[in-house]
Amino acid sequence: MKKDSMLYVVLFTFIVCAAFVLVLAVANEGTKDLVAANKEFATQSAVLGAFGIPFSGQADAAAKYASEIRRGDAGGYASWAATIDGTDYVAVEQSGAGLWGTISVILAATPDAGRVRGIRVVAQNETPGLGGRIEEAWFLGQYEGEKTTGGAISMKAGAESSGKADADKENGRVDGISGATRTSQSFGAIVDAGLARVKATGGSR
Amino acid sequence: MKNSKTLTILKDNLWTNNPIFIQILGICSTLAVTNSMRNTMIMTLGVTFATALSSLTLSGLKDLMPRKVRMIIQVVVMSFYVILLDILLRAYLPDVSKQLGPYVGLIITNCILMGRAEAFAQANKPLLAFWDGLTSGLGYMAVLMAIAVVRELLGFGTLFGLRVMPEGFVAWTIMIMAPSAFFLVAMVMWWAKSVQAKREAARKEAKK
Repeated sequence: MKKDSMLYVVLFTFIVCAAFVLVLAVANEGTKDLVAANKEFATQSAVLGAFGIPFSGQADAAAKYASEIRRGDAGGYASWAATIDGTDYVAVEQSGAGLWGTISVILAATPDAGRVRGIRVVAQNETPGLGGRIEEAWFLGQYEGEKTTGGAISMKAGAESSGKADADKENGRVDGISGATRTSQSFGAIVDAGLARVKATGGSR
Repeated sequence: MKNSKTLTILKDNLWTNNPIFIQILGICSTLAVTNSMRNTMIMTLGVTFATALSSLTLSGLKDLMPRKVRMIIQVVVMSFYVILLDILLRAYLPDVSKQLGPYVGLIITNCILMGRAEAFAQANKPLLAFWDGLTSGLGYMAVLMAIAVVRELLGFGTLFGLRVMPEGFVAWTIMIMAPSAFFLVAMVMWWAKSVQAKREAARKEAKK
C-alpha cells in the first residue's frame, strides 16, 4: 500500500490512536481505586483536621473518620458532625472565588456558629508564597477556637493588617496575609458564608 | 564515530543549543514553576521523561508515518506520555499532583517536545532520538533549577523547603511572582551568550 494513499493515512492514524488510547485506558482503570482512595483520604484528613482530631496515616484517618464523625447531607451540600469532649460541632464544605480560582474549605464550628473549631483548605490556586499561604498553620491557626461576632469573623486585610497572627481568640478578628490582600478578603468572605451555612445546618439538626 | 555523535548531542543540548537560552523554548513553564525547587524538579523530570520517550516513539514510527498526518501523530504521542505521567502522579504521588495542578497537563504544550520531534526525531534513529530528548530535558532542567535556586532562596529564604536564610531575612516578594523569572532568564541568556561569543572569538583568533 502506498504511504500517501488515503486508505493508508486513515488506517495508520486510526491504529496509532487506538493503540495509545487503549494503553491509557488500561493505566487509568488500573489506578482508579488508588486515585479514589487518595481523594477520600484528602477529604477525610481535611474533615478530621477541621474538627481538630489528631490522626497518623491513612488507615488511622479512615478509622477515626468512621468512628467519630457523622455524615449528613442537609440541604444538598456535604456536612459533618462530631462530638468532641462533650461539645457538638458541625462542619461544612464551602467554596468561593479567590483571586485566581475557586477556594474550597472545610469549616468546623459550634452549631450556632458562635465559635470556630477549625478550618482546612481543600483546594486553592492562589499565588504560591502569597495567597497560597492560606494553607499555612499560622494563618489557619488564628481561626481555631475564635469567637465569632454575630456569626462572622472580620478579616483585617491590607493596610489594617499587621501581617502577623492575631492571638486574641475573643475579638472575632483575624489578620490577613500581607501581600495577599485580595486573597485574604476572599477567604474571609468564604469563612463567613461557611459560618452561615453551619448555622443553617446546625439549627436543622 | 558513534560515541562522538552522542557527545556532540549532549554538549549541544546542554550548552551550545540549550532549549532555554539559545532556542528560547519552554519559557512559559520557566515563569510558572521556578519559584519552588521541588515543583521545578518534578516538572523538569516530567518534561525530560515525556521528551525522551516521545522522541523515541516518534523516531520508531517515522518510516511508517505518512507526512500528511505527521503533526497529529506527534501530538497524540506526546499527549499519551503526558497523560500517563499525570495518571501515575495522581495514583502514587497525590501531594505532588495536587501541588502541580494543571502544570503537568500543560507539558503537552511545552515547545521543547514538538521542537525535538520535528528537528531531530524525524531524521534520526530511535536510540539517538531518545538520547537527544533526554539531554534536551536535562538542558532544560539545568537552567530551570539554577533559576529556582535563586528564586526560592530570595523569595522564601528556603531551599527545597528547608530554611537556609537567617530568621531576620526579609523575603523578596518579587522573586515569588512570575516577573522575576523574566529578569533571571534574561540574565542567564546574557551570561551564556556572552561566554559563547567570547569563546567563538577566541577560537577564530587561534585559527588565524
